[in-house]
Amino acid sequence: MTTLPPPTGGAPTETTDVVGPTRSPASPPTAAVPPKSRRPTGQFRDVWRRYRRNKLALIGLGIVGLLVFLAIFEPFLTPYSPFEQNLLNTTAPPGNGHVFGTDVLGRDMLSAVIYGAKLAVIVGVVTVLASLLVGVTLGAIAGFAGGAIDAVIARVTDTFLAFPLLIGAILIVRTFGAGILPVIVALAIFGWTTAARLMRGQTLALRENEYVEAARSIGATNSRILTRHILPNAIAPVLVYSFTSIGVVVVAMASLSYLGVGVPADIPEWGRMISQANAFLRVPGKSHLWVFPSLAIVLTTLGFAFVADGLRDALDPKLRGRD
Amino acid sequence: MGKFILRRAAQALLVIIGATLLVFLANFAFGDPFGSTGDRQVPPAIAAANRAAFGLDQPLPLQYLTYMGNLFTGDLGVDYNQNRPVIELLIETVPNTARLALVAIVIDIFIGVTAGIIAAVKRYSFADVLVTVVSTLAIGIPTFVIGFVLVATLSGVGPFPTVPRSFTVEVPWYTEVLLPAFALAIVDAAFVARLMRGSMLEVLRSDYIRTARAKGLSERKVIGKHALRNSMIPVITYIGVSLGGLLGGAIITEGIFQYPGVGYLLFRAIGANNAPVITAVVIFSVLAIVVLSLIVDILYAYLDPRIRLS
Repeated sequence: MTTLPPPTGGAPTETTDVVGPTRSPASPPTAAVPPKSRRPTGQFRDVWRRYRRNKLALIGLGIVGLLVFLAIFEPFLTPYSPFEQNLLNTTAPPGNGHVFGTDVLGRDMLSAVIYGAKLAVIVGVVTVLASLLVGVTLGAIAGFAGGAIDAVIARVTDTFLAFPLLIGAILIVRTFGAGILPVIVALAIFGWTTAARLMRGQTLALRENEYVEAARSIGATNSRILTRHILPNAIAPVLVYSFTSIGVVVVAMASLSYLGVGVPADIPEWGRMISQANAFLRVPGKSHLWVFPSLAIVLTTLGFAFVADGLRDALDPKLRGRD
Repeated sequence: MGKFILRRAAQALLVIIGATLLVFLANFAFGDPFGSTGDRQVPPAIAAANRAAFGLDQPLPLQYLTYMGNLFTGDLGVDYNQNRPVIELLIETVPNTARLALVAIVIDIFIGVTAGIIAAVKRYSFADVLVTVVSTLAIGIPTFVIGFVLVATLSGVGPFPTVPRSFTVEVPWYTEVLLPAFALAIVDAAFVARLMRGSMLEVLRSDYIRTARAKGLSERKVIGKHALRNSMIPVITYIGVSLGGLLGGAIITEGIFQYPGVGYLLFRAIGANNAPVITAVVIFSVLAIVVLSLIVDILYAYLDPRIRLS
């Protein structure tokens, strides 16, 4: 396929479009078949083919798939209710009908971990979607408009970036009380900044392209240029980052719960379970209390990280050639 | 160069002011530290008197301005719990956190840079594969899990202090700092190793390295003198930013190891709704991050002329 070399803007993952969407369903039958558009979103099969070659990425996808499966089918998969406390049978080691043992409140460990997976997936995805919404919009506006608007948005971004994620999240959750929604809001408020920065960088590079000029010359409005031309081409690194970010959010939520500032105490959550295991650290035979939630957190983070890496390599063949 | 510094410094100042405003607003919504909580009933007259004594009955903007004014004279307010000046609490804990951060960074650099260089120089060898795989895995494991596992397995073993321990136990700083620093350093070292490896690989492909080799320089000189300097640039910037974050107080790790640093102070203050301490610590963290980012940016511009001319 003939494509032009990428423009000298040098943005890492832009496609090689010259004029925007080149799909022309009404092309005259006598002309040669026009080359297919090379936008990443139009090439699912290509991307999937490249993705498939990466073993680690497939493992990651498997893990993520497992998590989503657990999240959706949680009510059918948990042998006991994750909320059912049995104070006569606390911290029992695995066995006796409890595959992972019971936790400090007598809840079945396996059910609690599965419920934790559901919580992690929901909070992770919702938080990242929210921060993407805010971050991508602000980043695109900042990069595209430039000048004073860019400066203002950049300063606001920096202010939020200067806050360590955890500290900011703690402040917000303490302000609004415990609960799942405050946790989501808190993590999203301090999580949108990186997406904004990425988007801004990409927009800055892409807006110099000729197809933007061409679109403008035929009268496209700014918002149309942004949504139709720049956004699809700029979204690749943001997409990659958002997967890593889900892992980060899950860890952050676990950390918040570990500190006691996250979801309410009666909801089984991995971080909370680990903090409850604190009292039993030196007691032999109780390591199941923290081993299983820890493994769950590690697996989740690794899974999303592998998927993100694989996606990055699959979306941009140029990057793969580097190593 | 001067203009660049001034510009970045002004931006940094704006960011700090914005952050302090945010913290102050958050504190305001925290709830009344002197009111009745749970079974601690406080007669309203006493609660009001306490509030007045700490200036909490004044309008918010006035409180903010008073606080900022006091900040410049070094007066960070008085701790609600123990009635000690907050600045004293900070003076006690900041050196601990600084030590932790520095030790973590040193371990970081040691392991990360060495691993990265070896992986790049002996590309495709077993060492390279090992470094790549281990660093990818290490990045995926959250610091707090690493910390927890270390506490569960190694605390109380050999020189490492036991956790949990009471305040009265005196622990020499060099043993206290080891485990938390190691926990913090593992993830960072993995990042540094990958960064170093990637950067070094790119540099080794460049023309001036080819020239150096063609000139007949020994491989040691080529790598040690030429390649290393140029590939260190992204690593230095990463480490600088990382240091800023660490100085901000690795709140979880310090909490897990009961390490008496700034993060642990914050942790306890949040539990007690201790607004002056919370504000002071958050401002300190933000300051650390912003100042270090500023230094790193300036350093980067100094090392790489392409940046300052952009």
